[in-house]
Amino acid sequence: MMLRAAAVIVALLIAALPARADQLVTDLSEHQIAIRSNFTGTEILLFGAVEAARPGSRALNRDIVVVVQGPSRPMTVRRKEQMAAIWVNHDSVTYPSVPGYYAIASTRPLEVTADAETLKALRIGIENIDPGTPTARAIDGTLQILPPDEERAFWKALIRNKRREGLYINVPGGVTFLGQTLFRATVDIPANVPVGLYTAKVYLLQNGEIIDTISSPLYIDKRGVERFLYRMAHEDSLLYGLIAVFVAAFAGWLASAVMSRR
Amino acid sequence: MQIYLPIAELPVSILTILAMGAAVGFLSGMFGIGGGFLMTPLLIFLGIPPTVAVGTQTTQVVASSVTGALAHFTRKSIDFKMGSVLLAGGVIGSISGIYLFKLLAAIGQIDLVISVVYVAFLSVIGAMMMVESVQAIRAARGGRATPRRKHHSWIHGLPFKMRFRRSKLYISVIPPVLVGYFVGTLSAIMGVGGGFIMIPAMIYLLRMPTNVVIGTSFFQIVFVAGLTGVMHSVENQAVDIVLGFLLVIGGVIGAQYGVRAAEKMPAEQLRALLAAILLLIGLRLGYDLVSTPPDLYSVIEAEPHS
Repeated sequence: MMLRAAAVIVALLIAALPARADQLVTDLSEHQIAIRSNFTGTEILLFGAVEAARPGSRALNRDIVVVVQGPSRPMTVRRKEQMAAIWVNHDSVTYPSVPGYYAIASTRPLEVTADAETLKALRIGIENIDPGTPTARAIDGTLQILPPDEERAFWKALIRNKRREGLYINVPGGVTFLGQTLFRATVDIPANVPVGLYTAKVYLLQNGEIIDTISSPLYIDKRGVERFLYRMAHEDSLLYGLIAVFVAAFAGWLASAVMSRR
Repeated sequence: MQIYLPIAELPVSILTILAMGAAVGFLSGMFGIGGGFLMTPLLIFLGIPPTVAVGTQTTQVVASSVTGALAHFTRKSIDFKMGSVLLAGGVIGSISGIYLFKLLAAIGQIDLVISVVYVAFLSVIGAMMMVESVQAIRAARGGRATPRRKHHSWIHGLPFKMRFRRSKLYISVIPPVLVGYFVGTLSAIMGVGGGFIMIPAMIYLLRMPTNVVIGTSFFQIVFVAGLTGVMHSVENQAVDIVLGFLLVIGGVIGAQYGVRAAEKMPAEQLRALLAAILLLIGLRLGYDLVSTPPDLYSVIEAEPHS
């Protein structure tokens, strides 16, 4: 149903476009994801079409890469070390700008889609995320300089942790062509997803060269009671705390009232 | 059935949380304890961030201590004057505990400190209770009287003496203020009421009569836990109202059955059982501290300014 509607929209868009180089037409199944009390994660569908410059020409070595990226925030990676038998957070590295979510899907594995330099320059792929200049600190908070391979270990650990949480996703073969021009990809949005403005970027590659790029926004936010409580906890935190405590006190009183009646 | 927690930012099963609340409530009704020191580790095992677990747990402590304090109020077994002195210390302790919590969170050591403090208290108190209850059980079987506690005289040498009519005491306010302060700090860091520290301190250190000890400690805990809850909301945004509400509901129901179950069990065996539970949780947390973690690295969102 959704796909058919999408196909119709895509067909109309194709008809309206002037034909030059191969071009992309894409859209998302949803541009807004609401986190409500029953939110346990979801998936979004990205669909589109390649509008060929010379209609009828059979495209070879054509690839689609889809990158969905969440808002970037500073993040700290801490490494535990054993001190007197106990594992203690020791050295840490803070990256100023780490995407809270990064999903990449492609028609073929990234390595065969384009060469490493192209991917690196365009920041395509989890390994090519640019987190900014890291600052390393020792256990007492003083700045220190880590050798590059050590620093690399922290960055790898960040990626490993994010992958484990389902927030960094790599799906080679996640983009499928339906016939010659239409393609689709589904992207998992896990329950622990950070809120904010996301971008879904679609790259069209031909023989390892980027031919066209298109970007659409995706907004993930708490809604309803979730939004209300979250905002209140952050903006009216005194009132929020008082309500939380009084509700609990009331429940305690209610329990004793019920108990004493028996 | 899953529900998304707005502050912890993850979905949990409503039934799991209700069952945990009920189980802890059952034990809390059975042993006459707040149950915070059981619930906080359970929430952390479940994957709730330790900060949110501690902050939210204070609401459950408020609910169960209000019930407890009201029951003792009708029995007139609260020493309000002593309670207020303990509370004065508790308020300062809670405030300083919150700032200590914030500082430890900023340098990345809060999870460690919570675990270490839990392991220390659970194992020490668990072991002490176990020894005492085993001795009492043996003494009861052998027909010997339980050994009498020895008298602490240094307490009587301290200045700022005050008369506590209800407790039939004339002592310095310094020890109760310090006890209150200590318990208030623990309340902020561990998300507990602190009755399991305060009650032995009141009996052995302040030498209060046992019949007013529990009511007075509940009276102090209501206000200290309430203040701690508000402070955790304001300073750390760490109170999850939805999680707290579910825990309170489960706890209130569980406590009813716990109280009834306790009536059927002899006090000494009950105490040995509680000691065993404390030791088990302490061991589990202690094992996590020393065993090699599956991933030595952890990722946390950094404060934007630091």
